[in-house]
Amino acid sequence: MSALDAKLLSAHARGDKSALVTLYAEAADAAEDIDAACFYLTHAYIFGLELGHADVPELHARLSQHGRV
Amino acid sequence: MAKDNIASDLASVRRPVETANGLPNAHYTDPHVFETESKAVLQTSWAGLGVGADVPENGDAKPIEFLGIPLLLLRDKDGDVRVFQNICRHRGMILVAEPRKIEGAIRCPYHSWCYSTKGALVSTPHVGGPGHNTHEDIVRDDLGLIEVRSHIWRDVVFINLDGKADPFEVVNADLIARWNENTAPLYHGGVDSQFSLDVNCNWKLAVENYAESYHLPWIHPGLNSYSRLEDHYHIEHPVTDPRKGAFSGQGTLVYRQLSGEAGEVFPDFEGLSDKWDEGAEYVCLYPNVLLAAQREHAYAILLDPAGTDRTIERVHIYYASPETDDTLRRKNTAQWKEIFEEDIGVVEGMQKGRSAPGFDGGRFSPVMDSPTHCFHDWVAAKLGVQAEG
Repeated sequence: MSALDAKLLSAHARGDKSALVTLYAEAADAAEDIDAACFYLTHAYIFGLELGHADVPELHARLSQHGRV
Repeated sequence: MAKDNIASDLASVRRPVETANGLPNAHYTDPHVFETESKAVLQTSWAGLGVGADVPENGDAKPIEFLGIPLLLLRDKDGDVRVFQNICRHRGMILVAEPRKIEGAIRCPYHSWCYSTKGALVSTPHVGGPGHNTHEDIVRDDLGLIEVRSHIWRDVVFINLDGKADPFEVVNADLIARWNENTAPLYHGGVDSQFSLDVNCNWKLAVENYAESYHLPWIHPGLNSYSRLEDHYHIEHPVTDPRKGAFSGQGTLVYRQLSGEAGEVFPDFEGLSDKWDEGAEYVCLYPNVLLAAQREHAYAILLDPAGTDRTIERVHIYYASPETDDTLRRKNTAQWKEIFEEDIGVVEGMQKGRSAPGFDGGRFSPVMDSPTHCFHDWVAAKLGVQAEG
């Protein structure tokens, strides 16, 4: 398990949604292809939406760039 | 019970009070009649669901089950109170399980479809496959939360579940006009000014008991020293058309303010004429909201028809000012709670009595029971029973 995986599991276990926004965005940055990146971006975006997170416009823009929202 | 049977059983209910019978036992004990009344009486009317104070801040959400229907009372990002069916349009999952604040969007806990606080479907993650969040067949504009018609009056959130009633202000124009002086802002007294009573009776018995003053000297002897039976009058606005609102209740001519040890009282509502100096009115706004209008505080009791023989009474007390004396406010809550608890024995006793096969709905005092008959007559009219003559 990668360090990022462990952090994601820990954030899920804590219900730390703000951390999930950040960590899923990191996972998207590290992804090897667009589909994988958009999968992680989607999670970051959804948890961001729920929180009203400041990163939502940027996450939306990244998904929109690939026609995914 | 078939509607035809209900009609034949209720013909005597719609007679004038002098010769009428009350609603038959089945209207208090039969689950099928409860279901029929839920649809024909409660869902077609403007029923009380909650109060604005339940969701005081923008984003506050409170799930409420009403007649078995999961609803969500919510104050949206602009401060408007809305009521939705508390389900995701995807798989029907309950969206909000406990009262909480919605910080951004309402995220379904199952597949994470997200809704704005105004009910718009804003995201459908992976709906077109992993990382693909749209699909041509999933039209978000068609899949917003199902909103229930709602209207706020005196901070009570009224809902019309079937969506077909005339606007609240039209249906209830006569009570709004009657209390046209009582329009000053109401401030909820806070956590120490609300309480609930879980009562083993059909919701209608709580209405009937509240409507009449006949029982006051027997059940509330503490009131007798200053508020005698002869100081009360009936309030009756009978049904004329089942689509119009109706209400009944009682008024007093000797309302006495609560005072503290040093003689302190709550500040009065602005805009009231002299008649409210010693006058107060207690009205059942059909179907399920019991209201009080007084010079310096008001209250609303919302009846939650939790079952054929179970009602949750939710009491909320309001003042003319957001700041009131803590000790006096708590004393006031305690006083009302004691009075409402005194009523529990009789409504539960009447509920038990309705398992006696010989009870024919009872006969009314032609003089003292007309507010109760007014309510029975309205229920029968809502069930489609025509008055004779």
